[in-house]
Amino acid sequence: MVRTLLVLAFTFGSVAGAAPQQAPVNQFAQSMADFRERVDAYMKLRGDITKTVPEVKETGDPAKISAREKALGQAIANARASAKAGDVFGPEMSVYLKKILAEDWKSRSPADRKALFEELPPGINLKVNQAYPTTLPLVSVPAKLLAKLPMLPEELEYRFVDRYFLLRDRDANLIVDVLPGVLPQRTVSR
Amino acid sequence: MRFPHAFLSVALAISGITCVTATPAPVAPSRPPAVQQTASSPAPASEVLPPREEDSVLFAIIGDSGTGSRSQFEVAAQLIKSRQIFPFEFVIMLGDNIYGSERPQDFVNKFEKPYQALLDGKVSFYAALGNHDDPTQRFYKPFNMNGERFYTFTKGDARFFVLDSNYMDQAQLKWLEEELSRSNDRWKIAYFHHPLYSSGEKHGSEVDLREQVEPLFVKYGVDVVFAGHEHFYERINPQKGIYYFIQGGSAKLRKGDIRRGPLTAAGFDTDFSFTLAELGKDSMRFQTLSRAGKTVDSGTLALAPDPKRPDNATSAAR
Repeated sequence: MVRTLLVLAFTFGSVAGAAPQQAPVNQFAQSMADFRERVDAYMKLRGDITKTVPEVKETGDPAKISAREKALGQAIANARASAKAGDVFGPEMSVYLKKILAEDWKSRSPADRKALFEELPPGINLKVNQAYPTTLPLVSVPAKLLAKLPMLPEELEYRFVDRYFLLRDRDANLIVDVLPGVLPQRTVSR
Repeated sequence: MRFPHAFLSVALAISGITCVTATPAPVAPSRPPAVQQTASSPAPASEVLPPREEDSVLFAIIGDSGTGSRSQFEVAAQLIKSRQIFPFEFVIMLGDNIYGSERPQDFVNKFEKPYQALLDGKVSFYAALGNHDDPTQRFYKPFNMNGERFYTFTKGDARFFVLDSNYMDQAQLKWLEEELSRSNDRWKIAYFHHPLYSSGEKHGSEVDLREQVEPLFVKYGVDVVFAGHEHFYERINPQKGIYYFIQGGSAKLRKGDIRRGPLTAAGFDTDFSFTLAELGKDSMRFQTLSRAGKTVDSGTLALAPDPKRPDNATSAAR
């Protein structure tokens, strides 16, 4: 009996010992966890900044809303002055996002595809820490696509602009991250 | 005839469509006073129909309005004028409330000035966000959004569900289902920017959005849905028992864009327009007027009994 247990223990120990090299890793879950960490880090920084740029309450004075938006955007951009494309999406999640976006694109009708470029002038160039151009419409992100993407805190949103996929800070009107070239070149005539 | 343009309650001999036989009754106004007549509110528009029921909910609908253009001011003038006969208490805005830049002066030129007489008359505005609207508009007090992208409010027996169709994420869908499920209101009205059904050539129906929200509307008995985005007026034939309207022509116009088909109950794409609505005990009466003050569509829609709602409609579309 004791011998049997020893054999079993040895066998199990051997298998367990080999496990770290062979255990399957859920790459998507890992990418997701990494993305969440990056978003959390952004939110932490944002939270610290909002202590100095307080939330705006409802007001009849649009100048106050505009001033707060600019101040918040500027403060965040200053605090992330060295931020570059992909810093929040992360290298692994970027791969998954591109895949999700490509699959979604394939599933869409020509009319749906056209809608993603609607009312946007060609040749837009967007960078991290840039204010989202206020003269551009905010292209709707299709609801079915949103359901496939990782959820974001209310302060952040995904947006398409031309061939860019953006992470935008809603109240700071700030481009937090960009993923370029996620949609095919435009062929629709305008 | 007490009313110059009383509704024709015509029984539509179409299967599944019945009519509300409405008997117009005058209303002793226990409502807020109409706005004072000013230079921008000339003599009452003769075609505007007065309210028919007491204690009904009167409101106006405008969409894609925030241009600051002459056409916005002209539609606004008719809207102001109509209130002398149809004293609506509030206006719902279907998005694209401020086009282009959103500097403080834009809020003045594209909202406050055109509707000054209404604001002075204590008319409330309840805005939905359009694709040209910065979500920070939700902090602009005159839009009554309580700082939220999506929100709900009640007026009399009616609950309004105001959605952000630009960004229908899971959080919003969850919120919508919770709010709809707890609503026992007689009327459930939803409005947002992008139309679930549209005969517009430029945009058309938002099928993706429809797949997400329509099941909730059907499940919880939403009665009427208003949307904008398309720069015209269209009344859609009832879909799954729900009445759909598009009113996106209150300052922008896409002439001749309606491709009339099975969806179209009525359409108007040759001039700017706005809509007036009265939520009564058992029916909603509506009237859409052009910027010239001419009626382009009007009718009465039956409030279907919950939970099974037949497609009822009475219309005197013109």
